[in-house]
Amino acid sequence: MVAKRSLGLAALAAGGAIAVGYRRRKAVRPGPAEWFAVTVDCGPEELSGANRPDALGRLTEHHEVRITPAPGGRGTEIAVHAADGKVREEVRALKQFLETGEVLRVEGQPEGHRTVLGRAAVPVSRQLMRRGVR
Amino acid sequence: MKALCWTGVNEVAVEEVPDPRILNRQDVIVRVTASSTCGSDLHLLDGYVPTMMAGDVIGHEFLGEVVETGPDVRDRRVGERVVVCSIIGCGRCRNCRAEMWSLCDNSNPDPGFLETLNGHATAGIFGYSHAMGGFAGSHAEYVRVPYGDVNAFPVPEGVADANAVFASDAVPTGWMGADIAGIRPGDVVAVWGCGGVGQMAARAAFLLGAERVIAIDRLPERLEMTARHTGAETLDYEEVDVLDALKEMTGGRGPDVCVEAVGMEGHGTGAQYAYDRVKQAVRLQTDRGLPLRQAIHACRKGGTVSVLGVYLGFVDKFPMGAVMNKGLTLRSGQQHGQRYIPMLLERMAAGEVDASHLLTHPMALEDAPRGYEMFKNKEDGCVRAVFTP
Repeated sequence: MVAKRSLGLAALAAGGAIAVGYRRRKAVRPGPAEWFAVTVDCGPEELSGANRPDALGRLTEHHEVRITPAPGGRGTEIAVHAADGKVREEVRALKQFLETGEVLRVEGQPEGHRTVLGRAAVPVSRQLMRRGVR
Repeated sequence: MKALCWTGVNEVAVEEVPDPRILNRQDVIVRVTASSTCGSDLHLLDGYVPTMMAGDVIGHEFLGEVVETGPDVRDRRVGERVVVCSIIGCGRCRNCRAEMWSLCDNSNPDPGFLETLNGHATAGIFGYSHAMGGFAGSHAEYVRVPYGDVNAFPVPEGVADANAVFASDAVPTGWMGADIAGIRPGDVVAVWGCGGVGQMAARAAFLLGAERVIAIDRLPERLEMTARHTGAETLDYEEVDVLDALKEMTGGRGPDVCVEAVGMEGHGTGAQYAYDRVKQAVRLQTDRGLPLRQAIHACRKGGTVSVLGVYLGFVDKFPMGAVMNKGLTLRSGQQHGQRYIPMLLERMAAGEVDASHLLTHPMALEDAPRGYEMFKNKEDGCVRAVFTP
């Protein structure tokens, strides 16, 4: 009985060691991507020189921005380095503006009675969803 | 104005809310004349779609009259009678231009939730939670329609409101289920679910060349309605073993195309259904999948399974082995309604497509809470309650 218990403990310990070893090896998680990228349905020439939209100009003042033609002539990739939530929102807005001519709004629509919690939560959750997490 | 608001799980109420206004230059404002309940609303009511907030105006399948246009609207005119696609497209991104409107890049201004859940965000939808853009819905006197030129469609004279309202969602969704499945002349098509979408998928399957359509449900009045209005044969899954019956009816091959028009709260029988209900109730899976599993199991080798029912997240025990080993093609998506609506309105005008029988319960908007109760519980043979403000 004792021998059996020891055997069981040894097995548990071995299992634990394997688990710890596995965790150690996996401890370093891959980091998030450093670039936030969108593809815009236009040619690269529409994003440079005199055609460059003001919003893109402003982005390039504070961030490294990479503009490359998408494979197969399927638009242009705009990638921004070290984009935080606010910048991600700006990049999404830039794509919308370039493709549709305006940035879609949902603030100011009809809504019914919001609870106290809801009144606080709606703008916060909206901002979280607008920016997305990385 | 008056509008129907979601106020909590299984609770809706008619409230006084501000009128909508033009928020973008391509918006139109529509005075709603008919707004339908839809099976997918039940997922909101039942609390399975997160990001609903008390006070959200619901409703997405509607018809009305244009009463105001934004300065950049070119084609829509005040006074036009229009049906509006429930899924919002921008008309300019690569997906819209490829006629895959529900994959629009630009119509969901708050894409973060769906990006985290699904990898990418899809189009905005009227009255369908903040994850889908947080747009105010159509169970209201007025609704704001973004990108009015591409999302609102003039209804031909002679097409009654009771028919045209379903060109917003049920008819194009059903049509798409048959269309993307690539039905060929002589095919046998099985359709799970005899609600509005399933019935329209059955009708579309015949119009696209199917030789036999077999519709599956458990409610006698819906089975009878489907047989009468679409010409489909029907199976009551509480009376027969669907898999056995389909094999028998197809000479052992199985249907060439299986259309699933049920979604994440699918009903069923036996131990598998009980298992799904428990796992969904304790949130170990977000979506129940019995009819979907059945469709995959039934489909003939090399056939196509077309999924129209709304799923949000994860289905447990997904039979990937059957998909892989039988070489099945899986097609799916929210409806690309803008691709089909003009053609469907023409077919309605020509008498080839008629969905007006779906409207079993016309009601005033004030009675919408009762309408949803009837619709949800399928009382009094309710297939669709449609509200008029």
